Amino acid sequence: MSDAAAHADPLEELKKTNTGVEHKKMAMWAFLASDCMFFGTLISTHLIYRKIYPTVVDPTDIFSIELTGFSSFILLMSSFLMALTVSSAHKKNIKSMRWFLFGTIVFGLIFLGGQVYEFSHFVHHKELTLSSSVFGSTFYVLTGTHGVHVALGVLWLASWLIFSFTKKFNWVHSLDIETAGLYWHFVDIVWIVIFTAVYLVEYL
Amino acid sequence: MKWIAYIWIGILLALTAISVPQCLNSGGETALFNATGQQSTLDPQGPLALNQVNIFYVTLWVTLFLFVTVGGALAFAIWKFRMRKGDDPNYVPPQSHGHPLVEMGLVVGSAALLVVIAIPTFGGILLKERPPVMEGEEVLEVNVTGYQWWWGFEYPEYGFHTANELVFPAGKVVKLNLKANDVIHSFWLPKLAGKTDLMPGQENKMWIQADEPGYFWGQCAEYCGDSHAYMLFRAKALSEDEFTAWLEQQQTATVTDASLGDYTPVNSGGADEELVLTGAELFIENCARCHSVDSKVQTMGPNLAHFGSRTSIAAGWLENESENLVHWILHPDKVKPGNFMWEGFPDPIDPLGPPQMEGLMDANLTEAQAEAIAAYLYTLK
Amino acid sequence: MSTEQVTYGTWKRPLKKTGLVGFLTTVDHKKIGIAYAIGALFFLLVGGVEALIIRLQLMTPENNLISAQTYNQMFTMHGTTMVFLAVMPLSAAFFNFIMPLQVGARDVAFPRLNALGLWCFLAGGIIVNLSWFFQAAPDIGWFGYAPLTARQFDPDIGTDFWIIGLQILGIASLAGSFNFITTILNMRAPGLSMMRLPVFTWMTLVTSFLIILAFPPITIALAELMFDRHFGTHFFDVPGGGKPILWQHLFWIFGHPEVYILILPAMGIISEVLPVFSRKPLFGYPLVVFSGAVIGFLGFAVWSHHMFTTGLGIVATSAFAFLTMLISIPTGVKIFNWIGTLWGGQIRFTTPMLFALGFIWMFMLGGFTGIMHSSPPVDAQQQDSYFVIAHFHYVLIGGSIFALLCGIYFWFPKVTGKLMNDNVGKVFFYTIFIGFNLAFFPMHILGMSGMPRRTHTYKAEMGWNDANFWSTIGALILGLGIAAVVLQVIYSCFKGKPSGENPWDARTLEWETSSPPKEYNFGFTPVINARDQVWENKYGPDEKKMGKIAPGAHGIHMPDQSWWPLVVSIGLFIAGMGVIFHGQPMERLLPFLGQSDISLFHMLVPGLVVTLFGIYMWALEGPGGYHLHPDPEELVGAVEPEEGSGH
Repeated sequence: MSDAAAHADPLEELKKTNTGVEHKKMAMWAFLASDCMFFGTLISTHLIYRKIYPTVVDPTDIFSIELTGFSSFILLMSSFLMALTVSSAHKKNIKSMRWFLFGTIVFGLIFLGGQVYEFSHFVHHKELTLSSSVFGSTFYVLTGTHGVHVALGVLWLASWLIFSFTKKFNWVHSLDIETAGLYWHFVDIVWIVIFTAVYLVEYL
Repeated sequence: MKWIAYIWIGILLALTAISVPQCLNSGGETALFNATGQQSTLDPQGPLALNQVNIFYVTLWVTLFLFVTVGGALAFAIWKFRMRKGDDPNYVPPQSHGHPLVEMGLVVGSAALLVVIAIPTFGGILLKERPPVMEGEEVLEVNVTGYQWWWGFEYPEYGFHTANELVFPAGKVVKLNLKANDVIHSFWLPKLAGKTDLMPGQENKMWIQADEPGYFWGQCAEYCGDSHAYMLFRAKALSEDEFTAWLEQQQTATVTDASLGDYTPVNSGGADEELVLTGAELFIENCARCHSVDSKVQTMGPNLAHFGSRTSIAAGWLENESENLVHWILHPDKVKPGNFMWEGFPDPIDPLGPPQMEGLMDANLTEAQAEAIAAYLYTLK
Repeated sequence: MSTEQVTYGTWKRPLKKTGLVGFLTTVDHKKIGIAYAIGALFFLLVGGVEALIIRLQLMTPENNLISAQTYNQMFTMHGTTMVFLAVMPLSAAFFNFIMPLQVGARDVAFPRLNALGLWCFLAGGIIVNLSWFFQAAPDIGWFGYAPLTARQFDPDIGTDFWIIGLQILGIASLAGSFNFITTILNMRAPGLSMMRLPVFTWMTLVTSFLIILAFPPITIALAELMFDRHFGTHFFDVPGGGKPILWQHLFWIFGHPEVYILILPAMGIISEVLPVFSRKPLFGYPLVVFSGAVIGFLGFAVWSHHMFTTGLGIVATSAFAFLTMLISIPTGVKIFNWIGTLWGGQIRFTTPMLFALGFIWMFMLGGFTGIMHSSPPVDAQQQDSYFVIAHFHYVLIGGSIFALLCGIYFWFPKVTGKLMNDNVGKVFFYTIFIGFNLAFFPMHILGMSGMPRRTHTYKAEMGWNDANFWSTIGALILGLGIAAVVLQVIYSCFKGKPSGENPWDARTLEWETSSPPKEYNFGFTPVINARDQVWENKYGPDEKKMGKIAPGAHGIHMPDQSWWPLVVSIGLFIAGMGVIFHGQPMERLLPFLGQSDISLFHMLVPGLVVTLFGIYMWALEGPGGYHLHPDPEELVGAVEPEEGSGH
């Protein structure tokens, strides 16, 4: 028998910390602060090489801004769906939570699909590879790291979707979904920065 | 048991006491702090090193002042407020939590002391970046290139190269353009200037000036691989006339016609002709693929065009004497481990594969052959 | 004490408290802290032996004790070991053991994550040191400056061991830090406001923030280097357009905060010990805390002072020079406040106090030389000379190690319930103090007379012989002293006299509970009414005395043990080995698998599968837990909890 169930509202119980923020959320905020530095380092590496030691590559020849713009929009919309997921979890509406979660995952997958297409297109048709130039190195490692973040996020959310169909699912877990949501929003916001710093600046 | 502890600590203190005069006077000469040692930074021979050591003295006096005041207060507090024999072990001293005025006063005071250091520091930074040269004044420039593990010096205005010995006129500013061929090195001539790094893919600039003609020791100061400790060099400041003569000497050919492969020395200087010619042949066979004997051409090894006029070999590690040179040619790996002269120059793409340029490892030179090469090299003056 | 089992979650979790299973599955912050300490002391001795080999090689000029390459491997491994495997984990040991006790918590916020930190620390330490057994110890320096780390200049796998080892150690540090931040911010006992926190806990918090913000740059830099070495990218590859200077920036953006990661915990320990043995509160507590935070903050703004000789230009050089000078102010503030703490007190010269006083002296000297090379013109002569070695050994041995030894002598009774002999400890202190100064003071002179660092030999005529000789003698004495302390620790674990709860008449909350603390730390929930709560309980007025809340009918909720942190770190270990040996011939590691080269599918992918499996099992085993009921006598004076509050 769940210990937490003995109390009236287990979620309220979890909030009984010095700061009023649950442990899991607090740790996630700390992780995201750290992740900012990860992406900050990668983005600065890219921008330093772009600005100070430019290579011969002209990125506008390579990028297809329409496709990337579309998949960026999709990723942003997935953030919207994630917010709806968290809100329905708080309202304890399992059905709408599952649908919104499903939508978030699908949008995340569309974004990943776009990235896979983009990478293979660049490699096979534009001859931009990891080792073809410094631009290739910084571009793939930066956007690839972001892609891994999105993929792990999709895996995480999909795990919750599946878990929500089991008997073990309990509304205490809405905190975990909210924490996953924090991560998802962060990954989306970082993409806005990357999209600007890597793609849009090239068209100025 | 107690006396064992006292004896032990006594021994340690005695050892320390013995060490102090020895360490302070390490050179075996009378000068304190080994100040006259070959690489002493406390014996500046040029304006830049003088400026740097003077700022060092400023920081030294400021920190000594702090040591006396803060350390004095600390020592006094420890002595004065120690628990004495017969004190009540349950005594509770007044539980004061601090005094904001005292604390802020100390903060402001230490900030003021930093200003004392900051002002000459800024002057020193400017001096290092901006050599004291009049507008329009002609300044000798030397391109310095760091290689694993030797130094290339190029005199671009005169179009010749030399290696491991930097020669320049005394009393004048010399501008150095620093580059690295492989990894990061650092150019350090302690008596003339602090160090500046040689970075691959980037050109750094520095300047030196020697007040008087002299002979200076320098060393690579950035870890650069196996033989980093053996990457030394020498610098010679010559008088105006000597330097002009040196320039002229460096631009004359020492071999008949290197570009046509005729490496016969122009002037064998009274050495055994036959031995020298054998040496020249052996040189072509074993050495010429990396070493140039034409001061106008720089290949991947140190330029040897005027080898005979240098004071040191193996990048400043050995004195330029016949015995050392033969040993160096026979066993470069024993003098400088990891050296390319022995194992060959590795292929940058596949460093574990066959070398791009073969070394002496498979040449199996005999002592007689090495002596012939040495005799040949000494004709290149 | 009675236990009541209420395990829930997907399946049962391991329960055995003792033996190998109990050790491998533990989530108890105290056991984890002790394991960290054992690992760190072991690596401290390993790094110390490496240091002594270095010193023996340099004892005489043109010595041939070890080859140039071995020497280069020694100083690389010495630096890496001491920074990442000795000082940091020893600090982490204190964070783990002491910090939850100081905030009155039952454990850290995420006990299993804490265990993951421990196992990753061990996995990383093993990987870095495994390189010796493959004749491939890294010889690139602990700073790994590009392009010396490129395949072209370092074709063997030494650099790969170093990269992967540091990455896994990074995971350990990050996991630990998220945990400590959450614990300190969220799990303080009622009434324990931030400005009542013990300074050691404050410094734990600042250090944890430094770790989570400083480790990402080095993680990315190492990943970029790994890509350069394995997948042909050009981040630091000069012919391909990369710039080695970028590595230096990324490394020192991590590296300088790292310096404070090493010293701030030490300052925290000193700020605990000085008040105890002066029998006075810390002088200027708010300023000490604030200056610690300022040091942490400014630590991110001074990294380029490690690069004054790389040609930064006038503006950058000046800016970083003045910021560096600025950082000496909060550091000085701490020293002033420590002297203020001693002032007017009743100073007792116990072993921990001697180490604390030794710390102030040595750290002060190290700070002075630090001020010297904050000035770029002075630094131009001192950079990469023995002067710098003297400087940072004064702050890292005279600073960090002295403080950590101080912490060992101070908290040993709390951790084990036994005393270490104080007189023996004093002899060891003087041995270490004299040996240390004999070893490192001559290096100032060596540096000023032009001896560069990282050189395995020097010419006899340079005038460096005597100072090097005495430095080696000093290093041997220092090594003897440290080894003796470790032996005394082991001896006292078994033969020490019982210490009681609070042998030092100490001031902070950890001394309120039994020694060693029970599994649940405190039988009651402490209600804090003062900064130095334990001192006030004994000597303070009534309104400052501590309140106690009984655990209530449930008993005390305790977390269950788990196998999965260990499984996850084993997965990371396998994956890491897979990257290190990527492209190497099979017979070097897995001779039974045939003749081909090791690909990423041989070990990296299986390792990641194990990791992912471990993470899922971790998530699915559920929160678990059981309840303990403390003895009634522990609860004398405790009030019953209000309805509905807490476990």
